[in-house]
Amino acid sequence: MTASEEQELVMFLERDQLVADTSQPVARLVLSRRMSVALWTLRVFAVVVSAMVIYTFVSQLAH
Amino acid sequence: MPPRSPASLLDTVGSDGAVALPRPPLTPEDAARSQDRFRVHNARRNGRRWTLLWLLLGPGILAMLGENDGPSMISYATTGATYGLGFFLPFILVTFAMAVVCQEMCMRVGAVTHRGFGQLVLERFGPLWGWFSAGDLILTNLVTLIAEFVAIRIGLSFFHIGAGIAALLGIVLVVFTLSGGRYWRWERIVLGMAVFNGLFLVAALMTKPHWGAVGHAFITASPFPGGSFNTLLLLVASTIGATVTPWMIFFQQSASADKGLTPGDLKHGRYDTVVGAVLAALFGCGALIAGAALFGHGGSSIQGLAGAGFPGALKLVSGNAVATVFALGLIEAGAVAILTISASTGYAVGECIGVAHSFNNSTRKASVFYGANIGAALIAAVIILIPGAPLLSIALNANVLATVLLPVALVFLIMLANDRELMGKWANTAATNWIALTIVAFISVCGAAYGIDSFLQTVHLI
Repeated sequence: MTASEEQELVMFLERDQLVADTSQPVARLVLSRRMSVALWTLRVFAVVVSAMVIYTFVSQLAH
Repeated sequence: MPPRSPASLLDTVGSDGAVALPRPPLTPEDAARSQDRFRVHNARRNGRRWTLLWLLLGPGILAMLGENDGPSMISYATTGATYGLGFFLPFILVTFAMAVVCQEMCMRVGAVTHRGFGQLVLERFGPLWGWFSAGDLILTNLVTLIAEFVAIRIGLSFFHIGAGIAALLGIVLVVFTLSGGRYWRWERIVLGMAVFNGLFLVAALMTKPHWGAVGHAFITASPFPGGSFNTLLLLVASTIGATVTPWMIFFQQSASADKGLTPGDLKHGRYDTVVGAVLAALFGCGALIAGAALFGHGGSSIQGLAGAGFPGALKLVSGNAVATVFALGLIEAGAVAILTISASTGYAVGECIGVAHSFNNSTRKASVFYGANIGAALIAAVIILIPGAPLLSIALNANVLATVLLPVALVFLIMLANDRELMGKWANTAATNWIALTIVAFISVCGAAYGIDSFLQTVHLI
């Protein structure tokens, strides 16, 4: 691709759309203690209920 | 280079025009995307509104019709066959309204940040949460993909074609659509296939439903289902899982970024999402109405293919033509969902590992992305070849598992959509947050109610 062709194409992309830009990580968010506890609670809830659903499904298979 | 915030960059960049700042060199992925953006730019500049809409439609419709997949349609039909016309018809509309709220956020975050859901969770909240999200997705996707192959198998078995062909067909389809190295090509092929989701509406019309009963069900949400409370909970959780799922979140955000949507396209992104939801709700109601033809004819105990033999049952009650259309619909629903769900797996794996994850890349450049796409489908295809697998149970439980794991993904989505550093002026409004949090609470309660009730019954505590 020539420089002028590249220049022409690049006109139609936003700067932060370029692969060179999206491959740079965004800054890490510092979670508050309350938010961390809430996320862990939700995670444990999801794992426990998933385990119940999977257990029930497997039990039904066994019968 | 220090981490960048996408919204901060937007202050110095126009929505769809030229920029004076020096730019890094273009990759082939950039070049492919910029060609698509060139057409969008031209359509917008020349005031060609319909062309612009045509160019920008895609991720929303695919997410919504992709979720009108095999297990979802089987779930809707089971509901119709078990309870007839009633509460579940308007409930489908409610669940799709919930889907619009969630999917609009995905589209907006993808268009503003140009990054997928997996990548943003991993970078913004750390690798632990990123991999948890990806793990949830891969688990639910594998189970759902099995259910998609099940749907194709059920559809093909009506035409006396075996499970081996169903598995092969799915894999060939995935490989075919992945060839070409362009997002646009993949999107248009899958959109073309998704149109045939309308077969469920055709099947419903062919059953000659009692329109008075349909209207009564929509207006009054009655009759309310009776019978087993656990079956009702299963079908409620399954119906929710048939409309809003973790893969849709990953898919629409990543596909919006891959398509190259920008904040200037948000209006059309919303049209795309709403059109997708309306079509999907219409076709979903079609599957329920078609299934309701079995109500009162032993519909709650459909025989054949481990309880999921809807086409065979419909043939006995409504005739061969209805059964054929329904069977073709199941094949389409499974096939489209295999493509979109495999794509969401590829996006998630590529984003979390940090390698190329775009359809605008060649297979050599994005081998992990394409490998995950095909690998997920391959594993699911092998599992359906196991003789005697409980097909209806797999299909319904795939949706329930998606419902149970959905709140975690939704909470991260809401946090990202509220992140003003990332989203700038496109962050959620207070009203959107209240609606979204209500949806999370509702889905959590429904998923937990079924999980706990069925577990307690299984261990004989109630």
